[in-house]
Amino acid sequence: MGKGRAWLTLLALACPSAAFAHASEQSFVLLLPAGAYIAGGLATVILTVIVIARLPTAVALRLFRPVSIGTSRRLPGKTSTSLLSLGLLAGLVWVGLTGSHDPTRNPLVVAIWTVFWVIIVLAHGFFGNLWAWVNPWTGVLHLLRQAGVRPVARLASTVGHWPALISLMGFAGLLLIHPKANDPDTLAQAVIIYWTLHFCGGLVLGPRWLRRGEAFGVILAAYANLAPFGLQHGRRKIGLPGWQWLAQPIPPLSVAVMLVALLSLGSFEGLYETFFWFKLLGLNPLEFAGRSSVVWQNGAGLIAALPLLITVYSACLWAGVRLAQTGTPLVLAFRAFAPALLPIAFGYHLAHYLPSLLVDGQSIPIVLTDPWGTGADLWGYGHPHVSTGFFNRLDTVRLIWLAQAGAVVAGHVIAILMSHAIALRLLGGQRRAALSQLPMAGFMIGYTLFGLWLLTSPQA
Amino acid sequence: MTRSTTTRRSALKTLAIGGAAAALPHWATTATAQDAGPIKIGFQKHATGIGASYGRWYDQTSTAAVAAINASGGINGRQVEMITEDDATDPARGAEVVEKFATQHMCDVAFGTLFSHVVIGSAPRAGELKLPYFVVSEGHHVASGMLNRYTLQPGITDVKSQVASMAPFIAANLGKKVTMIFPDFAFGHDHRDYFSAAFTAAGGTIAALIAIPPTETSFTKYFPQIPADTEVLYHVMVGPAVLTFVRELGEFFGDARPAIFGFIDSLEAVDLSSPGLEFLEGTYFWEGNPRYAQPDQTTFDKNFRAAVGVDDNGASVTDPADVSTYAHMFGCWETLYFIKQAMEACDYQGPADRAKLIEACEAITDIPASNEHPQGAKRFNGKTHQVFGPQYISKVTGGRLEVVHVTSIEDTLYPDDTDYTTQAL
Repeated sequence: MGKGRAWLTLLALACPSAAFAHASEQSFVLLLPAGAYIAGGLATVILTVIVIARLPTAVALRLFRPVSIGTSRRLPGKTSTSLLSLGLLAGLVWVGLTGSHDPTRNPLVVAIWTVFWVIIVLAHGFFGNLWAWVNPWTGVLHLLRQAGVRPVARLASTVGHWPALISLMGFAGLLLIHPKANDPDTLAQAVIIYWTLHFCGGLVLGPRWLRRGEAFGVILAAYANLAPFGLQHGRRKIGLPGWQWLAQPIPPLSVAVMLVALLSLGSFEGLYETFFWFKLLGLNPLEFAGRSSVVWQNGAGLIAALPLLITVYSACLWAGVRLAQTGTPLVLAFRAFAPALLPIAFGYHLAHYLPSLLVDGQSIPIVLTDPWGTGADLWGYGHPHVSTGFFNRLDTVRLIWLAQAGAVVAGHVIAILMSHAIALRLLGGQRRAALSQLPMAGFMIGYTLFGLWLLTSPQA
Repeated sequence: MTRSTTTRRSALKTLAIGGAAAALPHWATTATAQDAGPIKIGFQKHATGIGASYGRWYDQTSTAAVAAINASGGINGRQVEMITEDDATDPARGAEVVEKFATQHMCDVAFGTLFSHVVIGSAPRAGELKLPYFVVSEGHHVASGMLNRYTLQPGITDVKSQVASMAPFIAANLGKKVTMIFPDFAFGHDHRDYFSAAFTAAGGTIAALIAIPPTETSFTKYFPQIPADTEVLYHVMVGPAVLTFVRELGEFFGDARPAIFGFIDSLEAVDLSSPGLEFLEGTYFWEGNPRYAQPDQTTFDKNFRAAVGVDDNGASVTDPADVSTYAHMFGCWETLYFIKQAMEACDYQGPADRAKLIEACEAITDIPASNEHPQGAKRFNGKTHQVFGPQYISKVTGGRLEVVHVTSIEDTLYPDDTDYTTQAL
């Protein structure tokens, strides 16, 4: 029963796209003085907690006051860009089904897992709501409405955004659990099913469905509200990330749960390929038999992560409200404070996908110049090879790791500032806000530690 | 079950393309995979999963080999088409991929699998479908007899012969008392068992066997278990903590260390000038194929490096930091040329000749070193479906691996454990 075979010191990344090739980064990460780096990150977060607690109310609130950078012009053409986006998606599905079966050479796989889920999602957090232009449903639904096709029913307000949460969990199942998430056929089918489902939703229930039933409409809008750039009262403004959330009414419970779900998803995504998780499952990560061997275990983990995080976060909120003695209902506090978790989720997303972006991003010109994997070179790029050499040097690995850690720490710093500002507005008064944030400070410090620990943990 | 999945996929494809399914290139090629078309070789690639980094270099090597074969006229006058499927380094996916090669792509043969658990998961399906399945895995699973007549390993030697052939050199040159440090799972156990037996037969003794839990990331606490009279330390640690292992080993021993022998599997694709690896200066490694071009480099090796895009340091010609899996990837090149040799020997025309192809493979014995077999001469054992060839022992000198000994093929042989030719085709 010999199983002798070669083994690299390098391990694939957690996300389905990434695992294309990932050099010995983990080996070098284990050589970094991670303890000192983590201490530095934690100190930054703790310092933020202390400083914000002592800031006068007006100063703390002013942090999130944006400055105007000009008047906004309505940009026409969302229908056209949406139709273009749909055409592109259809083309990608076509190439997905007919092109190379090697996921590193198939444009659909690269487009969904690298361009969309990494680059476009991250772009929302920096630049705002690009989804409004590239949403592949709105254009065609608009044309149908113009042609006289009317929704046959109205989505009841009581439904909230819960269908979008179900959509998100379905997507997460594909992203993290499905054994064939990288298989072009499987991915093409998933795209067709997802698009058709929400097209039907939009057709039957009207455009409201896309804002409440379709996951990306909700989560990309949420991330877009973290962007420093935004519109307010007809003017373009810039401010500290999170200012747009603070300028909005308290979100409904279903949106708040979506925001927590994003963090739970990011957290489980970081955890589920660590040696720690494998140990917990009683598996040997060095001879991991692939995703098909852990469908139920990881599925259970993914599902359990959300109620677990909701419970822990709610407990911190409950304790904070009790300390502040404001009598604020827990559900109201949960809804009000949930946006403060979003910068953490965004920081996790950036940190988690940065290494894979560096590797898989190199596949973008490859699939552009050779979409069917036939050896063509349409754009004259000369068949570049994907290199992972930067994972083979301590200096570049250190740089990448520090960028990841920086994203995690920055996410927590923004989260702490947002949470404090929300407390000031909801509970009133610096003292009450500071008291309410004591348990939250523990949560934030703990989560920073968790995030940095994930970055240093060996992974399978 | 698989059949219904295919039907469902087909239905969705039809939905996606508005009924124009007949134009799909996959299907078009499927329908015409008969005598006139190209020879179709299914490449089972570890494109994702824990084998992805090997998969990338296996892909690059295989693509280069197919290009070279086609440039010189193909096989039996037909061009070769390599059809790649990702098995995600997942045994269950591996079996599916093999089935796709046989039933969807109508491949003539399948090849390229590295990780043993994927080979073991895939080979039974290849046997059932009577699809010749050429693996590049190093595992002893082929020669052990646990697989079937349709599975062969003609391009890379197996771990049993590799490990056993190291024993005489170590006993004669490094010391007679060996302590082994190995990861506590099948990979490490193979080394423990094969080396212990061979080393004892060579007149040495095993001073201690130190098994390290696979999830371990710090090793200092295990080093006191190394007996003081150890003359040679044999290590085969793998995984993300391997650089930590070397660093801690250096901190433990300092200058007063025994001779050290390891398998390059530990440091495959890792730059030997990486921090912490200075301790390895003067230590020995097994190499499947010398990573660094040697002073007596053959023209075969020179041509192979040029074809696959690897420089004299074993790194990518486009990025010197991108170190290749040079000790193993030659296996893909040599396997493809083995397939060519066998197909030409039996005048292979199409899938109906698969049984004939297996017999032609089994009839191959000695293969000289050549551009087609740049790692060295080979001897294929038609009964065990396993190839045997030279092994390289290199010493870390000035941050490079310099070859100090090359085993003969005879050093690597062991008695047959099976005879696949007795199985029906």
